[in-house]
Amino acid sequence: MTEPMQENKKRPMFSKGNMFLADMDEMVKRAREILKKGPLPSMVDWATAFSLWPVHLMTSCCGCEIGAAWGPRFDNERYGSLPWVSPRQTNLIIVEGTVTRKMGCSVRITWEQMPYPKFAIAMGVCALDGGLFYNSYNIIRPWQVIPIDIYIPGCPPRPEAVARSIVELQRKIREEGVASGWLADGERQDLKNIIPKEDLCSWRGEDVDLSTRYS
Amino acid sequence: MSTSAQGIVERLRSILGLAPEAPVEQLKGYVEVSVDPASLRDAAAKLKAAGFDHVKSVTAVDYPDKKQIKVIYHASSMLDESLSGYVVGLATSVDRDNPTVPSLSSIWVSAEFQEREMYEFFGVNFEGHPDLRPLLLTPDVAAQRPLRKDFKVVEEDDYLKSTYDEYTSTKRWV
Repeated sequence: MTEPMQENKKRPMFSKGNMFLADMDEMVKRAREILKKGPLPSMVDWATAFSLWPVHLMTSCCGCEIGAAWGPRFDNERYGSLPWVSPRQTNLIIVEGTVTRKMGCSVRITWEQMPYPKFAIAMGVCALDGGLFYNSYNIIRPWQVIPIDIYIPGCPPRPEAVARSIVELQRKIREEGVASGWLADGERQDLKNIIPKEDLCSWRGEDVDLSTRYS
Repeated sequence: MSTSAQGIVERLRSILGLAPEAPVEQLKGYVEVSVDPASLRDAAAKLKAAGFDHVKSVTAVDYPDKKQIKVIYHASSMLDESLSGYVVGLATSVDRDNPTVPSLSSIWVSAEFQEREMYEFFGVNFEGHPDLRPLLLTPDVAAQRPLRKDFKVVEEDDYLKSTYDEYTSTKRWV
């Protein structure tokens, strides 16, 4: 009977009934320390880079090029990327072209629904800076709503450019350690300062908390 | 049943009971009749009874000099072959400051969404409309009446200068 008591004194985590709840913070801290060193970060980044699944969010006409890019001729699926329907199982948004104000609300809600680490690519000149509709009353820029990793210029971009953006995003994830760093820190350091200015969902009569961090 | 252009004008005059000097404009395949806002609903009912069974579009024109807004219903026929080659524009002019037009969505069902669009882009109020809300725009944009002539859009060169400063100051790029 005495030996287990001594063990419990060494590790007070197991001494009480609420053992896991009491020391959850420390366990998370230890798990994050493990995620920062050793072989795990490169494995996480490698796995994330080859499973970039874009959500099916066709905002505009560049979606036709997306269809071609993942079709049999250009076949972006060979990079481990597969268009999927639900935001809950995806980790990449490709904003395809113009984003209207109502669609900006949808883009934001989709982004909030996705689990992190998650990434965004803005495709086409309209997603860069308005493009043809630069002074329209009814559009927004995607960077007003979500943080963008890669911009693809073109009207529309070729499917090869879309493939290049996937490869560039893979390189960014693996060289800078974005995915493992995000998991270890709980938030993405280089996107901290990007906070959208306006509440695009106010017309719905709902309160969307814009102060939530991008994590 | 006459299908010539002059025939359709005379037929419209007899349908609507217009006076000979009443304004009827005529283009190729298009006849525009101007009526008062008070008699718009009667004229629409007469056109519907005469065979113009649907509205192709509802549009509005802003005249800031005349202080008027002209609302035009483009009606045509799908079932009557002698009428289906023509589009009749049923136009009415209302005051620009408080534009109020009787809604024709009870007569032509296809006018309902188009009237909502004119409501949000020009601020035209349609009396008797079942569901007068903005259709495509958000309410804050619709409150600015973006298709009126006095709506200011951003100029190109100003736009490029101003937002570049905004980019660099806020460091939005990654």
